[in-house]
Amino acid sequence: MPTSDLVQLMKEKAEAVQAVVVKIKTMKEAFQYTVELTRQQKGTSMVATGLESRDVNLLEKACKTADLTFLKPPLRLHANKIHTALTPVDWGIAETGTLVLDSSSEDVRIATMLSETHVALLPVSKIKPDVTALENEINAVLKADGSSYYAFITGASRTADIERVLAIGVHGPQELHILMMVENRK
Amino acid sequence: MIKTAQDIKSYKKQLKEALSDQFLRTALDNFNCAYRENRSAVYEGIDFEEIKKKIAAEKDAALPRLNELFELFKTHAEAAGSKIHVAKDARQANEIVAAIAKENNVKKIIKSKSMTAEETFLNDHLEKEGYIVTETDLGEWIIQLRKEGPSHMVMPAIHLSRYQVGDLFEKVTRKKLASENIDKLVKIARKTLRPAYLEADMGISGANFAIAESGALGLVTNEGNMRLVTTLPRIHVALVGFDKLIPDLKTMLRILKVLPRNATGQAITSYVTWIKGAMACGSSTTNRKEMHIVFLDNGRLALAEDPVFAEALRCIRCGACANVCPVYSKVGGHKYGHVYIGAIGLILTLFYHGKENDRAIVKNCINCQACKEVCPVDIDLPHLIKKTYRAVLDQDGKTPVKNVFLSKVLKNRKLFHFILRHAYLAQKPLAQKGPMIRHLPHIFEKEHGFRSLPVIAKTPFRDQWIRLRQPVVNPKYTIALFAGCAVDFIYPEQASALLKVLQKYDVQVEFPMDQTCCGLPALMAAEEETAKEVALQNLKAVASEKYEYILTLCASCGSHLKHNYPKIFKDTSRSPENLKAFTDKIIDVSSFVVNVLKASSKDFNVTGEKVAYHSPCHLCRGMQVTNEPRTLIEIAGYQYVPSKDENVCCGFGGSYSVDFPEISAEILRKKLDDVQATDVRLLVSDCPGCVLQLGGGMDKRRGEIQVKHIIELIAETKI
Repeated sequence: MPTSDLVQLMKEKAEAVQAVVVKIKTMKEAFQYTVELTRQQKGTSMVATGLESRDVNLLEKACKTADLTFLKPPLRLHANKIHTALTPVDWGIAETGTLVLDSSSEDVRIATMLSETHVALLPVSKIKPDVTALENEINAVLKADGSSYYAFITGASRTADIERVLAIGVHGPQELHILMMVENRK
Repeated sequence: MIKTAQDIKSYKKQLKEALSDQFLRTALDNFNCAYRENRSAVYEGIDFEEIKKKIAAEKDAALPRLNELFELFKTHAEAAGSKIHVAKDARQANEIVAAIAKENNVKKIIKSKSMTAEETFLNDHLEKEGYIVTETDLGEWIIQLRKEGPSHMVMPAIHLSRYQVGDLFEKVTRKKLASENIDKLVKIARKTLRPAYLEADMGISGANFAIAESGALGLVTNEGNMRLVTTLPRIHVALVGFDKLIPDLKTMLRILKVLPRNATGQAITSYVTWIKGAMACGSSTTNRKEMHIVFLDNGRLALAEDPVFAEALRCIRCGACANVCPVYSKVGGHKYGHVYIGAIGLILTLFYHGKENDRAIVKNCINCQACKEVCPVDIDLPHLIKKTYRAVLDQDGKTPVKNVFLSKVLKNRKLFHFILRHAYLAQKPLAQKGPMIRHLPHIFEKEHGFRSLPVIAKTPFRDQWIRLRQPVVNPKYTIALFAGCAVDFIYPEQASALLKVLQKYDVQVEFPMDQTCCGLPALMAAEEETAKEVALQNLKAVASEKYEYILTLCASCGSHLKHNYPKIFKDTSRSPENLKAFTDKIIDVSSFVVNVLKASSKDFNVTGEKVAYHSPCHLCRGMQVTNEPRTLIEIAGYQYVPSKDENVCCGFGGSYSVDFPEISAEILRKKLDDVQATDVRLLVSDCPGCVLQLGGGMDKRRGEIQVKHIIELIAETKI
């Protein structure tokens, strides 16, 4: 499947499970989006995992300008205070609109589980058509020595436990935003 | 506390209560319809038949290797820091978990949903030991607060309305709530439970998969609570049935294609999580989580070796067998299972919770085959339910009077037919002048009065045969009619209509006189020996080598002869020689006329009259015949008018409608409502049992729709 079709399918499927999908070009745009979203939602804090230290500094600055608290690891200390979590993800699965994220780091887990809004950064080059295409990658993690916590995330947390009525945002994040990063071709 | 009826009398009392719960019935009826629609949409582009066969084969291959898979899993999981335990039964599992809690000075425990923990009644045990246990799955939390068991394996609180949940949450939060807003109720659970995750010392989860090749657990969830339960506390205990062991990731990914689709109509759940070993954990003094996995046997390892019941261990707990069950949708899960709910629950209860808890509920299967059709791992649920019923009877060492009578009579054709002939005389005074008995004598309880009953024919078909038989010169086909008791003794006119049609197509019909009841009623009563004996009599009587086809007008006889006969002889050392030749020749009337005789509209007068169709369970699912009857209605000059839920059971189920008349009446009511919502004056089906149920119900409600067998319909327009 050509990349443009994969991106389109990923977008459609993710939106079908109430994720908000946005295309961006630069990290700067990603930070702007996340900061702006947090302010709109009247959040006051942000965390980020998996970013290079240069980017962390940029984000921290952006938070400061916007009067948001940028919470630093270990995130367990801030467990109940995280409004927005920005995390890059490892893969996307277009067929189901799924994000794939090695969550072996406790900070990644806490960020993606306890935040009110999860903003995921997905490079379009990492979108695979279906889960079969990722079998080797998943197995590589599971079969490696040591422990691991590996996650598929598809949309925000949900339930239909009361009268089978779909409700979004139960114990996990109430919103999932996917920033699809179209890489620069220099 | 779960209180499952242990005898049929108290069970019937419970059923009566459940049937009077209007909210429950409406909710479950809507669920049943919506589920089927969502499911078919989400399976688009997937070959369900192919994938289910594949998964079934993979599960079957894994079952004899459970010990080997366990050892492999253990090696990998231990290498990654997990501690592995084996519990031989529920008590031991609970004790192991309590001991881990004690050793680690635990006070508070949070739990995510686990049917296996429900099976062992783990919460009760831990609470008795002094621990504070909080369920965090929304549905589980609700039923924990109400001190109930789950009423569904996937949606444990489906029996409750938002108002009941609202009242409950008002008590918990001591605040006034707007219960009509479900979103707000959900947020209350979110807010109330958040602190519990952070305060807990131990998190308990189940698992959907234990992957042997890597030692990882696989978990499939939606709410996000399981992720918190397995992340925040310093100890994680996973309680896992031995049946969850699979060899590899590939198998898990294949099952993942069907599990969410079948369970909730989702292509995938919000979260799929793999956990392997002891993770980094900031709340532990060692910075490593204490990770324990308790494997529960509780009869599974023996079950895996059982030649008949091993199949039940394929179950992946999707809950679909309840979703499509017409009985479940009338009475709800608390009356349709013990801990495990739905068709699989009627089976597993015997093995995990004993005959006492299964004795009454196991009888409540109408054998419509809807569960079998929807099962993603191809478990022959209706068949195993009857096998389970047999096992319960054997363990109890009792034979119900009905069974004694049934066996004695069915084995002796002459006695059986003698009784049927004399039934005509006995019921004659009740029928007054018409063809129906509208008021049953007082010896019957009033719940049986939901339908009029047809009068037994004055002259059964077999006594008319010599007169009706017409030799055909140069016949195109020579076939045997397997009439079945209902056509022979109640509706001989249906057989006469068949003769009329087939003679015009130059088909020589024969009626082997020694044929007797197909044996299905015996199998439904779990009288396997009788079913076998009767099958042998029919195999001999029909002498299939003389005929090109063996035609039935009764879908139940047809599917029993074709598909149950081989099962009946499966566990005998020698199956009868002519069995395959016999079963291969069984055909229903619509398929024969449409596919073999290649009937065309030129053969019929056109009336254009509108006709609705009821698809008998044993035809559409039992014999997989779906298009032919509908085509035949159109070919025969009528206008086929689709109605809602044509493939859903009419509530007959043979003696089921006598054993559970109130449930039968409820299923029938909905069926007739759906037909009456169309503008037809005629309803046809191709099973005399369905005709009896639908016709009797229509007569009772004085409906204007006439009910006929499809062969009677086409006989009227055949040129």
